[in-house]
Amino acid sequence: MKNTLKSRIVAGTALASLLALSACGAETAATAEEAPEPTNVTVEHAQGTTEVPVNPETVYTFDLGALDTMDALDVDVDGVPAANFPDSLSKFAGDDYTKIGSMKEPDFEAISEGAPDLIIISGRVAASYEELSKIAPTIDLSVDAADPMASFKEATGTLGRIFDKEEAADEKLAAIDKRIEETKTAAADAGTGLVVMTSGGEMTAYGAGSRFGIIHDVLGVTPVAEIKSEGKHGESVTAEYIATKNPDNLFVIDRDTAVGESGEAAVAVLDNELVNGTNAAKNDRITTLDANSWYLVGYGLTNVDSMVTEVQNGIS
Amino acid sequence: MSAPAAPAPGPASPPALPPPSTSAAVTRRRRFPRTAASLALGSAAVFVLAVASMFIGVSDVSLPSLLAGDPVAWQVFWVSRVPRTLSIILAGMALSVAGLIMQLMARNKFVEPGTVGTVESASLGILVVTVLLPGASMIMKMSTATLFAAAGTALFLLILRRLPMRNTLIVPLVGIMLGGVISAVTTFFAYRTDLLQTLNSWMVGDFSGVLRGRYELLWIVGILTVIGYLAADRFTVAGMGADFTTNLGLNYNRVMMLGLVIVSLISAVVVVSVGSIPFLGLIVPNLVSLMIGDNVRRAVPWVAVFGAGFVLACDIIGRTIRYPYEIPVGVIVSAIGSVLFLYLLLRKRAARG
Repeated sequence: MKNTLKSRIVAGTALASLLALSACGAETAATAEEAPEPTNVTVEHAQGTTEVPVNPETVYTFDLGALDTMDALDVDVDGVPAANFPDSLSKFAGDDYTKIGSMKEPDFEAISEGAPDLIIISGRVAASYEELSKIAPTIDLSVDAADPMASFKEATGTLGRIFDKEEAADEKLAAIDKRIEETKTAAADAGTGLVVMTSGGEMTAYGAGSRFGIIHDVLGVTPVAEIKSEGKHGESVTAEYIATKNPDNLFVIDRDTAVGESGEAAVAVLDNELVNGTNAAKNDRITTLDANSWYLVGYGLTNVDSMVTEVQNGIS
Repeated sequence: MSAPAAPAPGPASPPALPPPSTSAAVTRRRRFPRTAASLALGSAAVFVLAVASMFIGVSDVSLPSLLAGDPVAWQVFWVSRVPRTLSIILAGMALSVAGLIMQLMARNKFVEPGTVGTVESASLGILVVTVLLPGASMIMKMSTATLFAAAGTALFLLILRRLPMRNTLIVPLVGIMLGGVISAVTTFFAYRTDLLQTLNSWMVGDFSGVLRGRYELLWIVGILTVIGYLAADRFTVAGMGADFTTNLGLNYNRVMMLGLVIVSLISAVVVVSVGSIPFLGLIVPNLVSLMIGDNVRRAVPWVAVFGAGFVLACDIIGRTIRYPYEIPVGVIVSAIGSVLFLYLLLRKRAARG
């Protein structure tokens, strides 16, 4: 008795799923036939190739650089991570935008529920690519620290194609190139430079080719030392190191500010007898870079422009 | 190696507790003359390490440059080298002695502030004060951390008192579980407030930020170490239980409170100023007891000297292998410490046959 009931249920479920499967198949076939015009673009990105609909309706992005670019291109973004947005992107902090997790951890439930048409990710959530791809077309627009400008331009071009804003993107890129040239000229006479990030009272130095390498690689500030910090993490250094290398310009990123902790400020960490003896301190050439802009946002159309401006003001 | 399993060790007189340990330690002890001379030798070795530590760094500070009166060298020496070496010695001594006190109070060789929830509670305290009062002063952070550390340690000791069987392995296991629960709470709040990475940079012990004007709080732990030395015997007695302690004419609650305050303050001050240095309080007292036996009064100076030397050596390694950059001392101590710890465990098993 029990057995027959069980087998009936099994059979019933199997039949139902079969029906559902065939219905699915029919549906996909139908949409493919009904849409002959090219509404998809093929996007090559850091983790492969993805078919993305042109002008996707609901866009979620974990990459604040891409968010910045889309904002500059007047594209509507619907979902952003919960983060300390810099002033330029402060409108995204509100409840009008779906919060899709933190900068590092996607909230898969919220994302599934929102049914986005496109998800943009980068380094911090790159590992979730597979899982996010199951929800919606996902592209990884990580900027390659080894050649940031080329990869930034490529990412911008990609966004331009997806949202049909290629001209506007090119225009803005050209404007940025002009500023970079100006800054390069200034950097040629500015002497050496060192990029330091402070966090919890400790310091890490970043060199050419690092996540903050744009200062050396693109803007032409001579590195005071060769620091082989590939990727995201710098090298742990002491005040003695800075004093000995004696840079003419010191660029400081206060990580604690970027993550919303106003603990021991970078200024306090650097205000010591050793750092105060460097050329940078003596000539008032210590530039505190906007931590949100450098640490969190990075490569976006508006943001790169303001990053370049900060360096330009710092060295001239 | 640990104290005998029977709860009442009988006739031993207070200063000589617990009774001389069994097994391997006895044979091993012969090789170490327990005279003041060998302790002086140990101190001399630490002194040599300390001097070496003062001449390792990015800037050019050498004996000739100091003798020649080079002002830059002298400045670096006083601003950076001396404070760093002093803070390493203070932290190394204090954490090792705190570990020993913890072991006496819990009557178990396998506990230390980092494995019973003290350090975890201290970091929860720093997190709470950081979130509620951003920009709080060092003293504020430290006192909150101390309060949390004391609460966490007291909780552990309370659980321990209610534990039906205080078997050698159960005690540290309970401590590790309690620590795990506390650090899970901490991690959760750090996650919710986006402070995970900051929490990480606090927790990994690192002397790279030490400069004149930024380590002086560590002198507090130096004083606490001395108090710990003076009161060492009392902790042994208190570890035997309330009745036993009262029988010997000591105020049980007061002694436990003193131990609690010392261990919590040391942990909190060290975590606030340099971060946590794992394993130290576990390995150093155990190695010392292998070498010179379990007489507490005699062991404390050894624990202090050995702890300071061990951290000095680890910091020198961390500073040299990736010169001119650094590897945090916490990483080096963990790496070497885990090997030593395994050695201790395996050695014990081998001794049992």
